[in-house]
Amino acid sequence: MKAMPASVRPALRRLARRLAIGLFLDVWPAWAVASFLLAGLVALVCRMFFAGAASSLHWLWLAPVVTAVPALVVCFIRAYRPAEVVALADWLNGGQGLLLTLLETGDPAWADSPILERASTFALPRLRPWRKLAALLPALAFLAAAWLLPQRMPPQGSNAVLADDIAAGLTATVAELKQQELITPADEKRLQEEIERIRRGAQERVDASSWEAADALREKVAAGLSEKQDAVKWARESLDRYAAAAQAGSNIGPGSEASAAELTKALEKLAQSGLLAGAPADLQRLLKSGKLPADAKSLGELTASLSKYLGETNGRIGDLARLGKEFGRFDPSEFPLESGQSPPGEDPGRGGIDRGRADAALTWGKESLPFDRFKSEALPPGAPRSPDDWAPLVVLPGAPRESPELSAPSAARQYAATAGEAAWRRTLAPRHQSAVKKYFQK
Amino acid sequence: MTGDARALLAPERVAGGAAKVARLVAELRRVILGKEQTIDEVVAALLARGHVLLEGLPGLGKTELVKALSRLLSLDFRRIQFTPDLLPTDITGSHILQEREGRKEFVFHPGPVFTNLLLADEINRASPKTQAALLEAMQERRVTTFGETRSLPDPFFVLATQNPIELEGTYPLPEAQLDRFMFKVDIAGVERSVLEEILVTRVHGEPPALEPVLAASELNELFGLVDAIHLPRGVAAYIARLVAASHPACADAPEAVRTFVKYGSSPRAAISIGAASRGLALLRGKPNVGFDEVRRVAPPAMAHRLVLDYAARLEGWDGRRVVAALLDAIPEIERGLPQTLEAR
Repeated sequence: MKAMPASVRPALRRLARRLAIGLFLDVWPAWAVASFLLAGLVALVCRMFFAGAASSLHWLWLAPVVTAVPALVVCFIRAYRPAEVVALADWLNGGQGLLLTLLETGDPAWADSPILERASTFALPRLRPWRKLAALLPALAFLAAAWLLPQRMPPQGSNAVLADDIAAGLTATVAELKQQELITPADEKRLQEEIERIRRGAQERVDASSWEAADALREKVAAGLSEKQDAVKWARESLDRYAAAAQAGSNIGPGSEASAAELTKALEKLAQSGLLAGAPADLQRLLKSGKLPADAKSLGELTASLSKYLGETNGRIGDLARLGKEFGRFDPSEFPLESGQSPPGEDPGRGGIDRGRADAALTWGKESLPFDRFKSEALPPGAPRSPDDWAPLVVLPGAPRESPELSAPSAARQYAATAGEAAWRRTLAPRHQSAVKKYFQK
Repeated sequence: MTGDARALLAPERVAGGAAKVARLVAELRRVILGKEQTIDEVVAALLARGHVLLEGLPGLGKTELVKALSRLLSLDFRRIQFTPDLLPTDITGSHILQEREGRKEFVFHPGPVFTNLLLADEINRASPKTQAALLEAMQERRVTTFGETRSLPDPFFVLATQNPIELEGTYPLPEAQLDRFMFKVDIAGVERSVLEEILVTRVHGEPPALEPVLAASELNELFGLVDAIHLPRGVAAYIARLVAASHPACADAPEAVRTFVKYGSSPRAAISIGAASRGLALLRGKPNVGFDEVRRVAPPAMAHRLVLDYAARLEGWDGRRVVAALLDAIPEIERGLPQTLEAR
């Protein structure tokens, strides 16, 4: 451009700027359309599959701005050279060729000529940006539509929430047990593993079995508490019996030995249940030695200490008894059957009744404790009952009626009373009478 | 001469040359009324030292134009009326046995071709053999007879005429012969107003008396000025693209060329366009050739060089129409405006 006369340069610079703008508007919209479509696609995919990216989707609006960079690079590469700008200026001026000539020769002789003055007064080309920018609108609408789509929460996400909910309830229960020192570390670890297994199962699929498993675990905890409560109760009763026996005999005799053995067993049971972990020091020593004190004073102190401790423990267990009664919030209405679908198990090939996990512990609740499960109990002495004790209370209308023929007096019937027939006829059911009759007629 | 960083013609020299040419043109326009475009084309070809074939109906002033030109330029002028029995030696000249200084020898008698301005009237009436006698003269500006080559006077122009309607007993010019002509100028009919002017100003149709306006030396100076007219590279590229696109095999060829043209223009067409554009630029008082001059001279320079297909005759296409389609299809600048810009 420096070779051109000064009078022409401003017009040529204006034309060069206009050409640069036009070139950018030629190049950039295609990139912007591509970026809008790509951003829209990304937004669509995120809306459908990646809920975590929802908070970052607004950055996609910067995509066309980013594409301005490569567009500018392309414009820089394709920029109009000075000779092309001058040729265009010449063309816009009617094709006189004088500007091209001056660019090539740099001859200043014609700088002030009227011909050059006319050549430098060309009209700049008109800008028509919408020819290219119009293509942006559909792509922009696509991105806007994708961006405005509601975020789709994936199914596994809701499962995870429910699984965490189930596990949180169980964990809270275990934490409460731990706080009250009613659980051993081994039991706690086992329960945590069980809770984790329930949570993982619920993450894969949440259905009635998930809640049933949680309830089963709660029942298991409740059963454990009940067992502990029974153990405490047994220990208190054993202690009472031992104390009573000790006071009655004032010496350790055969009766008190049995009571002492029972108390020792009860205390061992308490230790096994982990209930003596927080016991007073004298109780701990007693458990280590395994022998009950023989003197009355020590026995009295032990009795008072153990009684107090067992009372407190029983109170704590009583407070936590509600844990076994608060079941999960399973609501069958949350798992409605699909319309027109039969309940599971009614259609052939659709599976049977869901009984929960196969490895779930079979806990029935309120079972007999091991120590008193087979405790013998003396029954009252029995006595053989006479058939005469059997008397009809009422004769129902549907009862068989005696036929008149049979009612008529006969030789056999004359001795019926003595043969005891009247008795079995009265006491036996009609369907058994023939069998009894055959037996006695042999 | 293209793309050189050399000085342009000074404005005064261009103005002086343009004034002389303008005088010539004005005198010609005084003789030939209503043919401004034709006169411009002939003068442009003359300044480019090219030969011109004038084609038109009888009585349209073809011969009168050439005669007026010869009178105005003070050049030696010869006229050959081409007839079927014309022989090549009638044009080039021949050796005649003569007695000189007591002995007989062949002496060359130059033909009418040895002149500055040769009017080949109704050139298509001569046989191709006779027409071919002009080939060497037109291209190389020399004549060879009996193994002796003689240069023709400088300048040498051939202005030929032909009648497009009386085809019986005529011999169409072969392509090689046509290619030697820089321009083929079609002489169109005159308008009514021009006819009125002729009737009022001319008694018996006689043209006004003319006095020479350009001496031989001035004409040579004009030739020098024409040669110094600058042809920018962009304009030269336009000429090249235009001529290249006249070939059907060219990728840029428009549909009309692909359909109706059998053979495109020769490189001589591009040379002729460049040279004639320079002449026209001087005629317009410009120191350089522009796109406009190229568009102006392209039809008479290219139309007769195209070999059209038989389909063109059936469809009513001639060389001028094909060149017009070519000019419409080929952009003047190789790289145009961006799509988002529009010329006002």
